Amino acid sequence: MRSFLEKIKYYSAHIIITLICINDSIFINTWIAPGPIINIKYILVFYFSFFQKERLSVTFLFILGLIFDSLQGMPFGLTPICFIILNKIAIFLKKRRTHTNFQNEFIAFAISLLVTQIVSIIILNYFSQNSFEYFLLAINIMVTLIFYPVIRQILKIFYSY
Amino acid sequence: MIENRLARSSTPGIAALQRTVNKSFLLPAYIIISFLFLISEKSDFRAIRFIKALINDGITYSIYIVNAPVNLILGAGSEARQYFNFNIVLENKKLKDEIDQLVSEKKELLFFKNENENLKRVLNIKNKDAYTAVYTKIIHEDTNEFAKNLIITIGSNENIQLGQAVVRNNVYLGKISEVNLLSSKVMVITDINSRVPVVIPSKGVNAILKGNGLGGAQLLFLPQNVSLENNDQIYTSGTDGSIKEGLYVGKISTDNKKDLKNRRYLVDLGFKEHQLNYVSVLKIARQ
Repeated sequence: MRSFLEKIKYYSAHIIITLICINDSIFINTWIAPGPIINIKYILVFYFSFFQKERLSVTFLFILGLIFDSLQGMPFGLTPICFIILNKIAIFLKKRRTHTNFQNEFIAFAISLLVTQIVSIIILNYFSQNSFEYFLLAINIMVTLIFYPVIRQILKIFYSY
Repeated sequence: MIENRLARSSTPGIAALQRTVNKSFLLPAYIIISFLFLISEKSDFRAIRFIKALINDGITYSIYIVNAPVNLILGAGSEARQYFNFNIVLENKKLKDEIDQLVSEKKELLFFKNENENLKRVLNIKNKDAYTAVYTKIIHEDTNEFAKNLIITIGSNENIQLGQAVVRNNVYLGKISEVNLLSSKVMVITDINSRVPVVIPSKGVNAILKGNGLGGAQLLFLPQNVSLENNDQIYTSGTDGSIKEGLYVGKISTDNKKDLKNRRYLVDLGFKEHQLNYVSVLKIARQ
């Protein structure tokens, strides 16, 4: 029984990320602010990669990214690359710091998010005809950074039990 | 035989080595596959498009099944509110009054329609394209920093084509941006890539309505010194040839500054996002 509960708790990260990635507009953007404001999928991928690097496999991130691209009408392959880059940067930055406090963690998230967004802009420029606005992206990054401590705290409380 | 023995080996060192090899192989493999997918975006091969349409349909309908419990929980709240609605008698009376008003307006519209057709006949003006509406369900709604999409349950099986207008109660919502076999994607009017030719009949002004990516839209290419008022209505002009003319889009909302150059015009759209379940796709039936 205990092992079953532990398994559920272990896979809850996968379930949470999948459900939120496919429903992020319902969960967050509709309830908190209109429009594409918070990039919650990147927060979740970073959080689990930074604190429990074994939990999210590259295969899971690749498949989830493809699902996300299909639903969003983005060029196939964009989100898998972004997820994998975010995952690897988070693991690399965590390895470099033996002692991590919130400040280090927040800077690591900001760096990872910035790199991921730059990569997605480069890929969109080369492989897609969709236009985008830098102003909107800047708002997106800022609000995602502001909301990171809140979502991180919720996840910490959830996984402390 | 030896390979099999190695594969099944439970020796910690070999098992760890196998895992490392697998992991180090997986990462570049996935990145290469992702880039192959991206490169295929630029190709126009029929087979690739067909495979992508199949993948899209598979993912869309799987997500619909996975999301069923989530939608059930989200819908339960509004259903409970409806069940415990004690003002139902008052609401019923109000709706009856509204129906009476709408019926009288419909009669008036019918009169104008007949008059319009008679005048067209006298002036020898040919009727424009006729449209047929296909009713469909929205199975998914998605927003991110680059796009705003709805996914509907009809695709090339219903002869849906790119650029066709999507409406709800004659209110323009967006246009078809991707067609799969059993599903299609709709680019909503608020998407930053959306451009719709519109007309403001009360002022005789044409403009382009562009989505702002934040749940709203703005008017571009307005003539200089044009003066629009609050509640001036906006309709599609149909100048692009694929969107029917005369579909209601929204109304003007302005700060009414005296200086026309500094006056800002916002658009109050005719629908509410995240509250759509069913829509219609307008298909041209050329005469």
